Amino acid sequence: MSSTMLRRLIVISLIVLWEVLPRIGVIPELFLPSLSSTLLAGWNQAGEYGHALVVTLYEVAIGMVIACGGGILAGAVVGSLPRPRLLIMPMVSSLYAVPLVILYPVFTVWLGIGSESKIAFAGMYGFLPTMLATSAGIQTIDPQLLLAARSMGATLSQRVTRVVIPAAIPTVLSGLRVGGALVIVGVVVSEMLISSAGIGYLISRYRTILDSQHVFAGVLLVLAMAIAFNAMIKFVERRAAVWQTGTRAGPDMIAREIPAAATA
Amino acid sequence: MQPLANITPIKPAARAGAVQLGGVGLVYKTSGQDVVAVSDVSIEVKPGRFAVLVGPSGCGKSSLLMMMAGLRHQTSGAISINGAPIEVPDPDRVGVVFQEPSLFPWLTAEENVEFPLTLRGVSKQERRAKAEEALQLVGLDGFGKRHPHELSGGMKQRVSIARGLVQDPPVLLMDEPFAALDEQTRMTMGDELLRIWAATGKTIVFVTHSLTEAVYLADEVIVMSARPGRIVDRLEVALPRPRTFEMLSGDAFGSLRDRIWRHIRKSA
Amino acid sequence: MKSSLAVKATRFVIVAMVFAVWELLSRTGMINPRLLPSASDTIVTLADLLGRPGVRSDILVTGAEVLTAFVIAVPFGALVGLLIAESRYFAEVAKPLLFFAFSIPKSIFLPMFILVFGVGFAQKVGFGFFSTIFIVIMSTTTAVESVKPENLMVARSYGATPAQTVWRVYLPSMLPVLLEALRISMIFNLTGVMLAEMYASREGMGHLIANWGENFMMRQLLAGVLMVAIIAVSFNELVRWVETRCSHWRT
Repeated sequence: MSSTMLRRLIVISLIVLWEVLPRIGVIPELFLPSLSSTLLAGWNQAGEYGHALVVTLYEVAIGMVIACGGGILAGAVVGSLPRPRLLIMPMVSSLYAVPLVILYPVFTVWLGIGSESKIAFAGMYGFLPTMLATSAGIQTIDPQLLLAARSMGATLSQRVTRVVIPAAIPTVLSGLRVGGALVIVGVVVSEMLISSAGIGYLISRYRTILDSQHVFAGVLLVLAMAIAFNAMIKFVERRAAVWQTGTRAGPDMIAREIPAAATA
Repeated sequence: MQPLANITPIKPAARAGAVQLGGVGLVYKTSGQDVVAVSDVSIEVKPGRFAVLVGPSGCGKSSLLMMMAGLRHQTSGAISINGAPIEVPDPDRVGVVFQEPSLFPWLTAEENVEFPLTLRGVSKQERRAKAEEALQLVGLDGFGKRHPHELSGGMKQRVSIARGLVQDPPVLLMDEPFAALDEQTRMTMGDELLRIWAATGKTIVFVTHSLTEAVYLADEVIVMSARPGRIVDRLEVALPRPRTFEMLSGDAFGSLRDRIWRHIRKSA
Repeated sequence: MKSSLAVKATRFVIVAMVFAVWELLSRTGMINPRLLPSASDTIVTLADLLGRPGVRSDILVTGAEVLTAFVIAVPFGALVGLLIAESRYFAEVAKPLLFFAFSIPKSIFLPMFILVFGVGFAQKVGFGFFSTIFIVIMSTTTAVESVKPENLMVARSYGATPAQTVWRVYLPSMLPVLLEALRISMIFNLTGVMLAEMYASREGMGHLIANWGENFMMRQLLAGVLMVAIIAVSFNELVRWVETRCSHWRT
């Protein structure tokens, strides 16, 4: 059997098991409601979920502007200046070890439990990895290309727009992917912790009344959001980087993906 | 190899320029110490000639080329190309081909060749036409739409040469352009370069550390020594053109190569 | 050497300046001290907190949860990772699935752990394990792949036994990647446990921090944040230090 076929089989059987095991009572419905009952529960409350989705998406959008805009800008500056890079980057990656979620209570004290604290927290959450990725990307630009451009009489602004920016696009995009994923997680997690609106809030509220079906419907919605975002960036990546050689997988793949998974 | 007579120059009035270096020196500072990289180099290459700079690694031959390209500044002496001093890169007068092809991976071969013209705001139509012409000249007809990663090492270097020629500069500077290629491709590219040179009539200054390549290509070979880089010898290569593979094993070729080798062994 | 000392000194100055600005903002009243207690007050509070038996027992609870989750997740993940990496077929099947599991947000599954385990020790450990396991598996497969076939070939051609091959080729080649994996797993693990404690819990550092936040006890809150940050960064730097000592032959 080809590996792809076996993989599909595994995925399909997992989905089937998700439906069957709770139904026949092997797994209590409280722990894991069956797929169909989850979807049905979500469908029945579509209005409520839709409203929550709007709130969450609004927070995600603004958080992304902060995290990705700021992160890309800061990363580009730090990455292109050797001295600050040497100085700051190791400090930034040390900071990375801190579970940033502990800062969320600080934001709630400062900004209240409305959207502002979520946006601020998610923006900060996505900022660091985006900055790290962009800075690393700027560094990988081949200096020979800049030299060649200079030999052809390119001015400074031409070198930036025609060499630095196009060369940095793939890394900036992967930074965007990582940072964006973290912004989504940051928003949902902070909604789960303390809030009064959004999908995270719905998940938490249904959890306290032990309504598993609605909890899982919310979880599925967030998953769908994360996957859709990922697919969107991948699509752009593929369009923007047709010139890239080889496969994208490799030992450094983990390093690149790790921030995306630092989702707790 | 085609006989010279069969090649019609694509530019009837070929532009070729003189390269003059007078007492050029380069000193750079590293943590308090002055390092003399190049010392008192004077060279004159007449229009249309093929000059090759050879020397052991670290003799400053590449630095010298970068200074001729206006990419680095000499600390003493003067460099003039086509009769005027060169201080900043001037693609009108000098085209540069680097050791690495230095092609922009996000552009097609054609767009890479057009790049210098794009920088100057030349119209799309004119750019296309000139790039096509240049690609044809280097023997890459029909490869214009490919991206660099779809080209072999030799082809990439051809694109790079086409890019150096697209603005029709009187002087072409080449910094070990074939060093990263395998031996076979390297020989072929040497013949190709001679063909292109014959067709365009440019002045070429070519840096290499391969003695065979130096003698095979050059009208004159300029030999440099290391630390500090200075000129130790100049040889006229009187071998007839077109150069052929058979000449490599001839006595004239051998004695020229030996003479260079003795210099290099001494200074290494 | 001299320059690296200068870099370290400059970094120290940067950290000191952050604290100085923090102190200044609060002391001068540019930011309301009730919203941002000064750095010195925070540090004093931190010392005070560390003296309280209640806080110490919360630290121990969190430490126990983190360690338990780590001790379960690392060997288990390493084993699964090795099994996957050993068979090319299995690796082809599993990798995209793992990669998918790896890239989806884990934290949204936190409610499920509460539904299954309640809000006690098992739930924290379970969620810590869940947050960590995928990264351990992924890193282990990467570590195995980082062993160069030519090195294995050399070992084989000189008649190395399987044990010798593992000990002399696999382990040294994998060590840097494994240490890196250990470091990152710990970050994930700690984040997972902290979040779980903040979300629903009766004890632990995360519980304290969330509680202080809800009651606007800024001084204690910042002291708690500072403490967790110091612990996390210290662990991180320790492993990094070992990493550079073990992998001086790289680069």
